[in-house]
Amino acid sequence: MDRPLAEFVDMLRYSDVPVSIGEALDAARTMELLGFEDRGLLKSALSQVMAKTIDEMENFDRCFDQFFTSETSLNFKDNSENEQKPDETDVEVELDPVDEKGAPPPAMSGNGEGGGGGGGEQQSGEQQMPGESAPRSLTDLLEQGDRTELTLAMTAAADRSNLGNIILMTQRGLFTRRILEEMGLNEVNQEISDRKAEDDEAGAEDLGNRLSILFDAVRDMVERQLALTSDGKNNQFRQDILKKVRLSNIETRDFRVLREMVRRMAKRLTDMNSRVKKVKNRGHLDIRKTMRRNVAYDGILFETHWKQKEKDRPKVMAVCDVSGSVASVARFLLLFLHSMNEVLPNVRSFAFSGELGEITDLLNRHGPEEAIPQVIEEYGGRSTDYGRSMEDFKELAFNEIDSRTTIIFLGDGRSNGADPRTDILKEIKSRAKRVIWLNPERKSVWGSGDSEMLKIAPYCTKAEVCNSLTKLELVIRDLLKTS
Amino acid sequence: MTFIDQDPKSAIDKIQSGFAAAGYICDRHIATSIYLSQKLDKPILVEGPPGVGKTELAKATAEFMGADLIRLQCYEGLDESKALYEWKYGKQLLYTQILKEKLGDLLEDAQGLDASMDKLHQFGDHFFSEHFLEARPLLQALKSEKQSVLLIDEIDKSDHEFEAYLLEILSDYQITVPEIGTIKARTKPMVFLTSNNSRELGDALKRRCLHLYIPFPDGDRERKIIKARVPDLDEKLLVQLVSFVQQLRTQDLKKLPAVSETIDWARTLMLLHAEKLDTDLVRNTLNMLLKFEDDIDNMDIEIPKLVAAAVKETR
Repeated sequence: MDRPLAEFVDMLRYSDVPVSIGEALDAARTMELLGFEDRGLLKSALSQVMAKTIDEMENFDRCFDQFFTSETSLNFKDNSENEQKPDETDVEVELDPVDEKGAPPPAMSGNGEGGGGGGGEQQSGEQQMPGESAPRSLTDLLEQGDRTELTLAMTAAADRSNLGNIILMTQRGLFTRRILEEMGLNEVNQEISDRKAEDDEAGAEDLGNRLSILFDAVRDMVERQLALTSDGKNNQFRQDILKKVRLSNIETRDFRVLREMVRRMAKRLTDMNSRVKKVKNRGHLDIRKTMRRNVAYDGILFETHWKQKEKDRPKVMAVCDVSGSVASVARFLLLFLHSMNEVLPNVRSFAFSGELGEITDLLNRHGPEEAIPQVIEEYGGRSTDYGRSMEDFKELAFNEIDSRTTIIFLGDGRSNGADPRTDILKEIKSRAKRVIWLNPERKSVWGSGDSEMLKIAPYCTKAEVCNSLTKLELVIRDLLKTS
Repeated sequence: MTFIDQDPKSAIDKIQSGFAAAGYICDRHIATSIYLSQKLDKPILVEGPPGVGKTELAKATAEFMGADLIRLQCYEGLDESKALYEWKYGKQLLYTQILKEKLGDLLEDAQGLDASMDKLHQFGDHFFSEHFLEARPLLQALKSEKQSVLLIDEIDKSDHEFEAYLLEILSDYQITVPEIGTIKARTKPMVFLTSNNSRELGDALKRRCLHLYIPFPDGDRERKIIKARVPDLDEKLLVQLVSFVQQLRTQDLKKLPAVSETIDWARTLMLLHAEKLDTDLVRNTLNMLLKFEDDIDNMDIEIPKLVAAAVKETR
């Protein structure tokens, strides 16, 4: 696989398009087949090979445009048009013989004034390997404005100075300088000062201008590379942090990132669980199928066939406190539960602060992201009354609770002095499969002030601290495992 | 395939025009996908909203390439015995009975049990052999001598396990029957999988396929499609009705009207001898486009505005 493609694949991987090795190989073959001329065609072809969902497609489009359109802009002609008209033709004329013959000497002789130290080196190099087109000095390349060669030299120099390792903004200057030096910056500077010494002001200025164009191009390249690697790395870094940070501290701008993460976590859990279940559900012998299977053995039952019971999916009821700091955790719990409708098809959700109401419909209709602000507006903001909410919950859902139901309460257990009605909780526990209480507060403050957690905890199968995504994932994994 | 060996651009152009001749108007993206799948020997996973012609694409490909179309409709509970192969139990049973009857004759000269067993083992084991194998769609596609197009429709409706059965076929064009061994494709079929995204597909499956997303067509392409399907439709009406449908898709609806529904609507309007759109006509026939009562109710007030905008297009 060639380097640009490998870089592109890296870029894609950082932007959440997981390109496998197989896919990268396919991409290489596709490039080989189609070539680079028709960019639109190449883009549409590569998008099919490398991006496998609609979201990935969007990311792919963005990356592709960024990667392939930001070609090096070494535009010497613009420059010469602005400043020195006659020079433009010079460059053109000189370009031609070089391109056609591929051998530098005649071009060099036509390049009279540009002789100097660079030219000398050039000729000695030339003598060592005749026939081949020897590497030309940077001065010559600049003088001739040979874009292709310059770009090649730039990429090679970037390679030698390990541009791929750039991570921080502050490294930009360093890498730009290093690459220019690799390309022969010193020699050009020398040439400029030589010309100045020889009173060739125009020549010196021209070369200086050309050098600054090259400088801009190299800086652009470095910045591009920085955007390419560090954006992705930063992103990953940020996601790692976000997983562990307390959910109540997360800023609004990170919600979008988090939502995606929750979705991905949910998907992983979904996938894991659909596999475990199959093994579990083997229990009853399916007589009819077994007979049919064993016709082959003259009716003797060698091969047994097991009835696959209907997949026993857990029933989950989530009861969330949506006041203040608990709301931000509730948001993610609900998002989590509703992202998993494949393994958790019947989640019922309730929200409360002062009084309690069912929000399942709202969530199903609008999706968790849009619905949750509405929920918080409708149910949040009142002073929390656990006792009242418990009564409401009993009225609404008690008859639906059976031995397969898991109930997740999410709340800080601060009831503002009102009786938390643990008697109802006890009833619920005796009826349900499990009662899990998640509290965003640290365990050490449970029971302090108006917190009723210490009273509540004994009536739960499990009472745990839950304030980060990682913890939330653990709880839900647990929920699925034992279901 | 001769067209495929030409240079990419002319091959893709050829696919595009070939499909147009088969009545399927495809854009360059879709044609590229067909070309790539031929060149890279990869299945195509086609996704997109319902009714944009995912299944039609496979049909058109079959027609274009002159290949047989083998279709496997997926549903929850579909398993290998219905999709891959099944043993012919009846015949197997008969075989054992025949064997029993013949056994006496065959073992006539053998002395003692050991000798009989030795002799028995010398016979070929026909019980599990291809004779008794009932080929289901996937196996049929592999065994077909002629080039075939295999359409695995609505793969997202099948179970996770079924997806796993498919992996071997999709990557290597072969299936392994435990009792017999591996059966390789005689001619590699061209495989299409379609999905409505009702379930997220596994990464392993996606990795083996090219991914083609077909969105709702833009106005220009939709006009071409309608023209290909309902050739007698008045040009003016065509422009108006496509513009109306395109506007409808930007509205907040439970189910957006698909291309197939536009086609139905175009046919309806033609039957009614309509010459141009007007509010009453649209109100009376809107149930061809919108399939939810709520949607129809909600759109009722919007109709005059949308019709006016659509009619403006032809002025």
